[in-house]
Amino acid sequence: MKSPTHAGDGRPRFAHASEAEFARILDFYGVRWEYEPRSFPLRWDARGRAVESFNPDFYLPDLNLYIELTTLKQSLVTKKNRKLRRLRELYPDIHVKIFYGRDYRQLLLKYGIGPAPAAPRTGDSGRRGAPASAARPLVPR
Amino acid sequence: MSESFAAPRPSRGAPPFSTPGDPASDIQEILFSQEQITRRVGELGAAITRDYAGRAPLFVSVLKGAVFFLTDLTRALRLPVEIDFMAITSYGRARAQSGVVRLIKDLDVEITGRNVVLVEDIIDTGLTAGYLLRLLQARSPASLRICTLLDRPYRRILETLDIAYRGFEVPDRFLVGYGLDYRERYRHLPFIGMLKNEVLAAEAQPDAALAADADA
Repeated sequence: MKSPTHAGDGRPRFAHASEAEFARILDFYGVRWEYEPRSFPLRWDARGRAVESFNPDFYLPDLNLYIELTTLKQSLVTKKNRKLRRLRELYPDIHVKIFYGRDYRQLLLKYGIGPAPAAPRTGDSGRRGAPASAARPLVPR
Repeated sequence: MSESFAAPRPSRGAPPFSTPGDPASDIQEILFSQEQITRRVGELGAAITRDYAGRAPLFVSVLKGAVFFLTDLTRALRLPVEIDFMAITSYGRARAQSGVVRLIKDLDVEITGRNVVLVEDIIDTGLTAGYLLRLLQARSPASLRICTLLDRPYRRILETLDIAYRGFEVPDRFLVGYGLDYRERYRHLPFIGMLKNEVLAAEAQPDAALAADADA
């Protein structure tokens, strides 16, 4: 069980502003949440010590759902997707939802929140109609 | 009894009738034309008419996004119906106060013992619909079902949400028109489309803290 550090107001010390924003959205809709409450070991060394683990950002106890917010930085997304696959293999009863950067940005855009978008990346050209903002690293609709 | 409909191929290009200065000229692509919406709303109306035969359901909607859908949907019904509206605070506006969602306009009618259909424009995370369902369920209606024009299941957080009637399943894109707005504009467009990138770029409120957050 992981025990996140807390800010002075009793809330967890979020690693990223996007996580703090997401927590505010959950609070707004009255959804109870826990921040990084659990670490799931994915690989172990010969001595049985965990050498790789997955720590979902949020757990929503009333929905029995873990939420992971991630980025559009492809190297990190690929790594996280691999860990997610491993997690599902090892812990098939755990429900995890991953929000990629684009998903989260679209979610915040709904509320008029978001950074000024950049031009679309070449690699995103197949995403017909996606706002240019979707091609930037992270931020939330 | 779930009514669903796959998204048709979107029409390429900007609306043919758009002119400079016309809000429609801000649309990059039409996802659902007026004709497609009309046809699908008629199908939903027929399904609801069949399911509620002999009853007089109350259609409840939340201001303002679902107003266009509600009015067209109820006109497609062959039932004695009533309509009523609620309004709630939106996260975007309440964000600065770190508050919780609040009812700012309640229903005018009692729903206890009534057959209620909650009409939504779009269900995304399901958080708003979940809040409304809790609110309405506490008033002991005889039945309570959801009818949404658009369903975007990809970002669903409230995965247990039971949607009885859905118009179209939509991709993870920012949509406007037919009630859907961006900063209170574009609701009146008769179709549903995607805004041009440059419109979002010009008008999104930059949030420096979030913009710097590249590795969450």
